Amino acid sequence: MAPHLELHALEKRFGATRAVQALTLAVGKGELIGLLGPSGCGKTTTLRMIGGLMPASAGRIVVAGRDVTALPPHQRDMGIVFQNYALFPHMDVAQNLSFGLEMRKIPAAERAARVTRALAMVRLEAFARRKPRELSGGQQQRVALARALVIEPSILLLDEPLSNLDANLREEMRNEIRDIQQRLGITAVFVTHDQSEALAICDRIAVMRLGVLEQLGTPFEIYERPANEFVAGFVGRVNRAPAERLADGRLRLGELLVQGSGTAGPGPVTLMIRPHRIRLGDGALEGPGWNSATGTVTRRTFVGDLLSIEVTVGPATLLVEQHSFAGAPGPAPGDAVQLAWRAEDTLVFPARVPA
Amino acid sequence: MSGRSGLLPLLVLPAVAVNLLVFLWPILNLAGLSFREGLPGGGLGTEFTLATWQELAADEFFREILLRSIVMSLSITLLALLAAYPLAFFVHRSDPRWRSILVVACISPLLISAVVRTYGWLVILGDRGFAPAILRGIGIEPGRLVFNMTGVVIGLVEILMPYMILCLLAGFGRLNHTLEEAAASLGAPPFTVFRRIVLPLTLPGILLGCLLTFVLTISSFITPKLLGGGRVLLLATEIYDQAIVTLNWPLAAALSVIALGVFGLAIFVYGRIARAAERAIA
Repeated sequence: MAPHLELHALEKRFGATRAVQALTLAVGKGELIGLLGPSGCGKTTTLRMIGGLMPASAGRIVVAGRDVTALPPHQRDMGIVFQNYALFPHMDVAQNLSFGLEMRKIPAAERAARVTRALAMVRLEAFARRKPRELSGGQQQRVALARALVIEPSILLLDEPLSNLDANLREEMRNEIRDIQQRLGITAVFVTHDQSEALAICDRIAVMRLGVLEQLGTPFEIYERPANEFVAGFVGRVNRAPAERLADGRLRLGELLVQGSGTAGPGPVTLMIRPHRIRLGDGALEGPGWNSATGTVTRRTFVGDLLSIEVTVGPATLLVEQHSFAGAPGPAPGDAVQLAWRAEDTLVFPARVPA
Repeated sequence: MSGRSGLLPLLVLPAVAVNLLVFLWPILNLAGLSFREGLPGGGLGTEFTLATWQELAADEFFREILLRSIVMSLSITLLALLAAYPLAFFVHRSDPRWRSILVVACISPLLISAVVRTYGWLVILGDRGFAPAILRGIGIEPGRLVFNMTGVVIGLVEILMPYMILCLLAGFGRLNHTLEEAAASLGAPPFTVFRRIVLPLTLPGILLGCLLTFVLTISSFITPKLLGGGRVLLLATEIYDQAIVTLNWPLAAALSVIALGVFGLAIFVYGRIARAAERAIA
């Protein structure tokens, strides 16, 4: 499938700092791609360059084979949903939606029909005559989405659209965004700093840090096969422990010898193990492909559905998460416990050279 | 809670009392003055008479002055708006670190008395001032720039601009740059963004600035007097002349009441437009 949106060596410099560096990315038609990273990673800058709100310092932006790098925003045909929604306060909901259609010289009758359809899509038919400030945050968010989509843009750009909503609504809205995006088959770029949001709805995720693309992959690839220590640490929670790769490929963690994935080493490496992939047990899980260790519980935190337990194993402290059971409260601090985890869940990265 | 809010109106009592005493009372007095007979040398008759008002109604001269004052004030208001709007927009849009400095720079002329600034304009615009010199240098024959309407307009626009800028900046509060970006992303070219988004949202500030500038213009008399050189006759300068020079107090009082009427009208018109705009915007 030919890509619908291509970024070629896109770059943004602010004075000496390079906010986005040589970013090359191809987004397929109808794909929802996430730009994920901590603040200052260049994700919003990238989105603003795609939307034409900020000129690129270098590189090209190509939409459906056409170079749009030099086009002003009003000629780019992109729908943007802003973090603060940016609804026009002096227009009611229907007028907000109608604005983009007026700019496209759509006749009044068709405009009205399309506005009605777009409002139905976000289930706000009854609110057409309300002013934005008379709507709740979630409703404003849906109006912003409808306003960006009613113009049937070639690309939908979403800039942290969920960050101003409370937790319950956020999950509902992200699914709604995904549903609508799928139904319309529209190519979309979704900027977020929330890894669970990105994992939940994106077809592919581009993880960025300090203006550099760290990894591009499906949510599964990003989570299970992170390209480096940063991606592993940013996407999901993870235990980190310094270790050493021996000549035979095994890893030495204090007194303990374990097996791991990857080819980093020999020499100093960093082990990363996700807390929920470690099992607490009595040794029965041991077998080929499993690592096991004995440790002492130092802390136990019960948060209802999850039990998280800190276990000291030699020089390392590992966080272990498991679902709680009504049967037993789990081990208490001071208890000795058996831990087991799969070799493939032991991510191994070259130890970072101290700067 | 309700007991406390019940006492709240008491807080405005001092202001109301002072206003009654030093504002409403003198104004009623002034209005009464216009129905007395003016005697030579500034004296006042004791009889009630409509003579002053009849004289005003009959005299073409005063109607001209009134019309000239209103037209000139409206023109100055418009010019001040055109000059101040881009400036205020620039200040509003500039880096927050610089914004407060720029605001101070914009309103710092208010630290100097209008009289001093008027004399400054006399020097600049005078026949041997540098404004005519520069214009002649680039091949334009400017004609006279002072002691006529041109000088008055130039001087008043500059002197009143800080007030206009302050009002505009206050009104720009509801303008958010993202709104312009949103409009552009929906396909609006820059001028349409201005017309459909920026202008409506800054309208309250514009209206307030215009009201203030209009009222200040029509009541200013030092600048028109000095820059007009006694040749530009306006409502305010005429009130001054009648009260101080000719000592025709009833006529000065009647003209003051007319000026007050113009203010009232201006505020009424402002209120109507502002309410209509508010309905359309909010």
